Amino acid sequence: MTSTRRDILIGVVCLALAIALPLVMPGRYIITQSTLFFIWAIIVVQWNLVLGIGGIFSLAQMALFATGAYATAMLGFYWKMPMLAAIPMAGVVSVAVGMLIGLACLRLRGPYVALLTLAIAQVMYVLIVNDTDCFTTTGGCMPLFGGVRGIGQFGDIGLRALFPSKWYIAHYYVGLALLAVAVTISIVVIRGPLGLAFRALRDNHGYAMSRGISRFKYQLWIFAVSAFFTGIAGGFYAVHFRVVGPTVFSFSTLLFLIAMIVIGGLGSIWGPLLGAAVLMLADEGMRELSDYRNIGLGLLLAVFVIAWPNGLNGWLQRSRAGRD
Amino acid sequence: MDVLIQIVASGLTLGAMYAVATIGLSLVYGSLNMLNMAHGAILTLGGYICYAAIVHAGLHPVLALLAAALVCALVGLLIYFSAALPLLRAENFETNIFIATIGIGSVIENLMLKGFGPYPIPQPLAVDGQVVIGNVHIPLQNVFILGVAIVLMAAVAILLQRTSTGRAIRATSMNREAAQLMGVRVGRVYAQVLALSGALAAVSGIMISSIATLTPVMGGDPMLKAFIVCVVAGLGNVYGAVIAAIALGLLEAATQYVLGVRWSFATLLLLVILVLIWRPYGLFGKQQVVRL
Repeated sequence: MTSTRRDILIGVVCLALAIALPLVMPGRYIITQSTLFFIWAIIVVQWNLVLGIGGIFSLAQMALFATGAYATAMLGFYWKMPMLAAIPMAGVVSVAVGMLIGLACLRLRGPYVALLTLAIAQVMYVLIVNDTDCFTTTGGCMPLFGGVRGIGQFGDIGLRALFPSKWYIAHYYVGLALLAVAVTISIVVIRGPLGLAFRALRDNHGYAMSRGISRFKYQLWIFAVSAFFTGIAGGFYAVHFRVVGPTVFSFSTLLFLIAMIVIGGLGSIWGPLLGAAVLMLADEGMRELSDYRNIGLGLLLAVFVIAWPNGLNGWLQRSRAGRD
Repeated sequence: MDVLIQIVASGLTLGAMYAVATIGLSLVYGSLNMLNMAHGAILTLGGYICYAAIVHAGLHPVLALLAAALVCALVGLLIYFSAALPLLRAENFETNIFIATIGIGSVIENLMLKGFGPYPIPQPLAVDGQVVIGNVHIPLQNVFILGVAIVLMAAVAILLQRTSTGRAIRATSMNREAAQLMGVRVGRVYAQVLALSGALAAVSGIMISSIATLTPVMGGDPMLKAFIVCVVAGLGNVYGAVIAAIALGLLEAATQYVLGVRWSFATLLLLVILVLIWRPYGLFGKQQVVRL
């Protein structure tokens, strides 16, 4: 079986299972948690393109997600833009911000990129949280970016009105559809010319460059592609939770998501998805011990990087290779 | 004039604190190519150990400072043996150690959250009184911090320049293979550097908490600034880092005065980005020529 066929097969099976889930287990808690899983999975799959395929050590993905969420909320709040138009716009805004960050840091070497992107996210957070000047006073004082409390009341995609009691199932399917598109894009990128260019650059940097493969150009491309879907995921997050606040920048979310990628398997197609599923389940399991959640996450992250740097995906592949 | 004295005084204090926090990071990066993301958590741990030693164990402040430095040096050793040593044998060391230390940092930070609670605690190691220059009152605490920082930096400089340990550290950061061929035990150098960096982090954590307060998350901000200092100076360049730290401290004090606290970090970052576009290897870093 070729790898592309195998990917399609895995994708179709997962999709079918996910479509059937609300029919089998219609409980509201499971459905909303699964919707959250879809949102995280979209980010993780796109981040993996930058981190695992592009080899760009960017920690700006959460900032791009936040950009998408804030852009959606602000377009809805200030310009009363309908959400179905605002979310794609938010994707475009995220691409613009992503390109700016990319231009600022892509000429740097690995660790410099990580630090700079982390610092950029931190500055965005500090600027939003410390903003106390009133921008509008309709309905109380509100800073331009909502300050500590965030922005609410910016509209909806209309599914709540359409399915008053079952809206969360409708959101589940929207999230699933977005994830399916995001995964398809990631497969196309990894198996397509972009992925090929990066593999060439990794295998023999000098030869690839002399054949006219510009690292900078392709890195900027992959940055833009992944920023778009991350921004859209941010927009969907905003609509789903009806409020966007500075918590989207929190370091523990960043830790959670990077742990998903590392535990699943950096740079593989299905690894990050697997990691996201495993960590969401582990997180549910640790809910009782909420105080120890971040300790457990940190330990998992460190242990996996040290003992199994290729993640669950690498382990699966090894055991399959062992059987053949 | 008074404003200028005020800015210089607080800028030098900030710069001194950043410098002490940065030296450790820079040494570690210089010799291991390792970005230690647990540095902020170690720094906070130092502050808490000092607090616990004075308040709960009733130790003399100087002993408490030494205890904090010792514990944090041990944490540095622990990181070397549990994370850096196994990862050095595999490929992609730089990326993997970065992620692993993010995990370790989170563990340390959340253990402190469990142990000491989320509420700010004042650091008992503080000096009362003030110095008056012109019309400006400078807390003695700031002078004290500056003094300790200068003594520490001098000690590190002597260690690096005058002792055989220091020569081994410098040799390793210049060229790892060559140092190894000349009989430098590189593994021991790594362990020493991580322990030293832990001890320095402890002292800077105590300094920082003595003019702010102790909270489990207080290390994040100084660590980020220390990294920025390292990046501006060129990763691994210790002396450049000291100069850059003091310059950034002064700059931060000035922007805080002119634009307000809110904008100081953003302005700093903007400057850093501009510097990096101009010189991608930092102000004092040497451009590495890669031969194919």
